[in-house]
This record gives sequence, C-alpha cells and structure tokens, in this order.
Amino acid sequence: MSSPSDTPLVATRWVETGLALFTGALGAILMHGSLAIGIGWGDAGPEAGYFPFYIGLLLSCASLGNLLLALLRRPAVAESFVGRQAFRQVLAVFLPIVGFVAAIPFTGIYLASILFIAWFMWRARRAGQGHRWLTMVLVSCGAALASYLIFALWFKVPLPAGLLGDVANVLGGLRP
Amino acid sequence: MSEIDSLMQGMSLILSAHHLGLMVVGVLLGILVGVLPGLGAPNGVALLLPLTFTMEPVSAIILLSCMYWGALFGGSITSILFNIPGEPSSVATTFDGYPMARNGQAGEALTAAFTSALLGALVGVLLLTFLSTHIARFALQFSSPEFFAVYLLAFCTFIGLSKNPPLKTLVAMMIGFGMAAVGMDTVSGELRLTFEQPWLLSGLSFEVAVIGLFGIGEILCTVEEGLVFRGERARITPMVILRTWAKLPRYWLTWLRSALVGCWMGVTPGGPTAASFMSYSLARRFSKNRERFGSGEVEGVIAPETADHSAGTSALLPMLTLGIPGSATAAVMLGGLMIWGLHPGPTLFVEQHDFVWGLIASMYLGNVVSLIVVLATVPLFASILRIPFSIIAPIIIMVCAIGAYSVHNSMTDVGLMLIFGALGYLFKKLGYPIAPLVLAAVLGDKAEDAFRQSMLFSDGQLAIFWSNPLVASLTSAALVMLFWPLLAKAIASLRSVLGRKLARRPA
Repeated sequence: MSSPSDTPLVATRWVETGLALFTGALGAILMHGSLAIGIGWGDAGPEAGYFPFYIGLLLSCASLGNLLLALLRRPAVAESFVGRQAFRQVLAVFLPIVGFVAAIPFTGIYLASILFIAWFMWRARRAGQGHRWLTMVLVSCGAALASYLIFALWFKVPLPAGLLGDVANVLGGLRP
Repeated sequence: MSEIDSLMQGMSLILSAHHLGLMVVGVLLGILVGVLPGLGAPNGVALLLPLTFTMEPVSAIILLSCMYWGALFGGSITSILFNIPGEPSSVATTFDGYPMARNGQAGEALTAAFTSALLGALVGVLLLTFLSTHIARFALQFSSPEFFAVYLLAFCTFIGLSKNPPLKTLVAMMIGFGMAAVGMDTVSGELRLTFEQPWLLSGLSFEVAVIGLFGIGEILCTVEEGLVFRGERARITPMVILRTWAKLPRYWLTWLRSALVGCWMGVTPGGPTAASFMSYSLARRFSKNRERFGSGEVEGVIAPETADHSAGTSALLPMLTLGIPGSATAAVMLGGLMIWGLHPGPTLFVEQHDFVWGLIASMYLGNVVSLIVVLATVPLFASILRIPFSIIAPIIIMVCAIGAYSVHNSMTDVGLMLIFGALGYLFKKLGYPIAPLVLAAVLGDKAEDAFRQSMLFSDGQLAIFWSNPLVASLTSAALVMLFWPLLAKAIASLRSVLGRKLARRPA
C-alpha cells in the first residue's frame, strides 16, 4: 500500500471506471463475435455462438453494474488508488519487462535475459545496493545458462535462441 | 475393503527410485515457488506443465502434486520467519507464527506448522481414499444436465461465498469463460471469435493467464508495496522438533476441528484461504488462551496450517471425481490432466484406475516426504529470501517468460502474459478475484458442452435442469448459493423482526 506521504496519482474511482469500461468492452466484443457466427438454433442444435453470446451479455451487464457502483459510491472509492512515487516504482519494473519481451524476437531469449538481469542489477547498484561487477556477470549469465540446460537440453523445449543461436549455427557450420 | 487393495496397488506402482526422486524434486521446487514472492502454487504448476507433456501421466501428476504440497509448506516458512505470506492461504499463519519467531521460538513455530500441516493433509487424503470411489460411482449416473448443474453449483458457490464483491467475481469468471470460448468450438469444430487474427486460432490458454495474473501481477504489487525482507533466524534442531512434538497432542481438538473445516472448504470451492481464516477465528473463539492469540500462541499456528493443508488436499476430491477443482492450483492441474489426454470425472476411476490410485498413494508418501525435506531445508530457503529483490525479480520474470513461451512455442503468448500481468495488478488492487477466472478458463469448454448437450435433449427448454429430483436439487442448491448473501441477510432481519415481536408480546 502506498504510504500516506506519497502524493496521490489517481483516485480509485477512475481506475474502477476504466477497468469496468474495459471488461464491458470485452463483453461487447464477445457478443459481436458470437452474433457473427450465429447465436440461434441450427440444424445440429445450438450454434457455435449460442453459449459465448450469453457469456458476453453477462460480462457486459456485470461490468455495467461495477461501473455504476464505482460512479455512485462516493466516499469509499474517492481515496487514492496509487501514489505517484509507488506508481513510478511499478512502472520502473513493468516497462523494462515490456522491453525485455519486445527484445526476445530479435535477440533471442538468452541474450535478452542476460541483458535484462544485468540491467536490473546495475540499476540497483546505482541506487546504492552493492552488487559487484563479477556478481552481475555471474548471475545474469548463470541464469541464462541454467535455463538453457534445464529447458532446451533436459526437457527439450525449444526456446528462441535468436542471435546466439545464429552465432552457434555459424560456428557449428565452420567446423569441418 | 477394495479401497485398501487399490491403495496398495497404487503404492506398489509408485514405490520406485524414479518416483521418489520426482517427489523430492517436486517438493523442493514447490517450496521454492512458495517461498519466492511472485511465484505461487498455481503458477508454479502452470510453469511446470509444458515440461510434463513427454512424461508418463502418473509421473507427471506426482511431480505436480508434490510441487503443490511443497508450495503449501513453503508458504508457511515465509509467514513465520518473515511475516510475509508466500501464499494467500498462509496469511492467517502470520498472525501468531511471526510473533512466535520474534519471541525466539521460530523453530517451535515451524515444527508445529509443518507437523499440523502434515496431519491436516493426511485427513484430506483419508477422505479422498474412502469417499472418492463412492462419489465417482454415484456420479457415473450423471448425464449432461446433472454435470452442468454441478458446474453451476461450483460457480454459484464462488459468487455467493466469495469475500470479493459478487459482481467483480462474476466479471472475472465471465472473462475466463470468454477465454475458453475463443478458438475451435468443441462441439461443431467450427472456428469462432478469432476475428480473423491468426494468433487467436489456437485459442487463449489458461496457463498463460495464470502465469501473467499470478506471476507478473504479483511482482508488480510487491514492488508497489516496497517489500523489504527482514527475517528472523531459524534454528531447527532435532531437540526442538522432539520437544515441540511432545507438546502437540494436547491440541488434538483444535487439530480435529481445523481438519474438518479444511475438508469442508476444500471440497466446496471455498478453498484453502477461506479455510485457514475460518479455522483461525474458530480456534480463537474456543481457545482457553484466547487473550494470547496474536502475540505468539502455538494454537494460532496449528489451526490455520491444518485447515490450509486439509483444504489443499481435499480440493482434489471434486477434481478427480467430478472434474471440478476446489482451488486455483487444482484447476491448473485439471487443465494438465486434460492436456495429457485424461478425462477428469467419474469415468477416470474406471478407465484410469492405476493413475488415480497412483496419485492417491503418492499423496500419502508425498506429504511425509515434504515434511522431511522441509524440516531439513528451512535454513537454505530462508537464506534464499535474503537475496536482494533486484536479483530475484528479473530471474522470476525470465522464468515466467520462458514458461509462457513454452506453452505453444509462440511469442504471442509472452505478449499476452504481459497484458494479463497488468490486468492481474489492477485486479488485485481493486478486489477482483483471480481464482474464478482460472477455474472458468479451464472448465469453460466442458461446462458449455454439458449445457449444449442438455439443450439438445430438451429442445432448448431450461426446464430440463429441474426434470428429475437429482438435477433439480443440484440446480436449486446452486441458486441458493448464488443468492446466499441476500438470503442470509433476509433471514437475519426476519429473525430480528420476529424477536422484537415476541419481546413486545406481554408474557
């Protein structure tokens, strides 16, 4: 929970409203998609959209209820949803994750993981936590190596190797 | 007793070095995910699922279920030593566990917690051993309308008994159903709700949702709260264990009461979290040392731990016999069963006799293995928590990304994981429950099949859900559970009105 000294960023009411609108829209999409494939009674009984349509309807109705509750209930939802400082910290973790995921198709999962872990530790080091350079290299490379050994070698789950995989292929191709 | 025979058969099936090794690995991984913030039993199991596709179903379920037990144990370590519940179901353990650790009784608290957890789990397994065959035999008479009514009962109970606002529970549940509907229609084989997007063709898998909602969402919440691990030291010596064990028998009544509460909440979809809270408050109400609760009373550790574990194990009873999981973790395991090509439900007991009894036998052994492993490794796992968050967090995120990727070998799933992560953060902060979403995502197709089959039988008449006494009572029970909060209020106000009238009447 955000500390009381933290300046509020946004009231809970508006986040509630936003989420209710989002789930309501999901319900609408469900209903729309179901209508497109038929929600009635076909030759073989209920059509494919029969069940999802009512799911969408219930979802939209429940979201509408949540929306009304969020707008009408005054004191309970007027308080702060998240403080400025706390939210900055959340973003400081969430945005790098987005970057990490976005990088995987280009660099492969191993290189992206090494960079991601190392960057996380480097930031903590700047903030005053004493990670030595050696620790940073060992942890980030060790984690990537461990995931390669466990997933790719042991359980035979092919992970996107990206650049490193290309390099490995080239090196493998060079071998006589 | 045919149950005993079957159990012995199951025992002989699983007593091999390979399976015992899997148990230890499962328990260790389970304690690890239970201890680490951001990883819990549901997403630990979801992360491990893709790795089990090549295994024998019996080996796979042993690995997954032992991970579940391990995670339940791991949750109590952080509750007691760090005052941080690793699992929602071990929140109640912090009330008295952490004060005990601060008073220098960490070893006693941990031993009491683990031992009562084992005893609680054993009650759950006994229930499973002796009731499951009968329930499965009874459920063999079910046809589609009955099955749908049972699903309805499970979902309505979630809405009616949940501590979260009912409309929010409904929204979470419907999102889960919506996810299940995307992709191929299981009845007609037609593609639906794909909106001509190729990445939607294979549907939205519940594993990705679990990893995002529980994993990434949890990490974001942890960051916002600015979590600092400042733990108490634990020293567990054989002397401490024996001394604590000598004290435990005097709490047999607490233990029995908590085990019953746990079994009840585990079988109905109340789940381990509700069970541990309820059992804690009951223990406080009936205890002789009521005033010591909250400042380090061992009874306040025994009660929630027993209930937590008996609920965790008995959650597998409806999962195996009816195909309805009693907790989020059980839901993920049920999804695993379906991926392995097994059909959870009463026919499982007939067709997959070895699998079922192998699992039940492994639960006896697995919980004993858990107790030994956890007692031996507490210092190790406590030291893991002292590793800075800046190292643990990126590694957890990496594991989540790999897990999401390996479900279908697709990057889309990793992207979806991010979206679910953001959603999980909002859900948690605004009081939307996550478990119903997972449950609905896993059961959606089966519930829809049952519903459509019933509609076929009746030509679209909803009256089929009241067509015979069995299905009628199930459906009515579902409606009662759905409106339970309103009914309870109505009964209470009726009582007070009647009470006032009686009081006014001259004697």
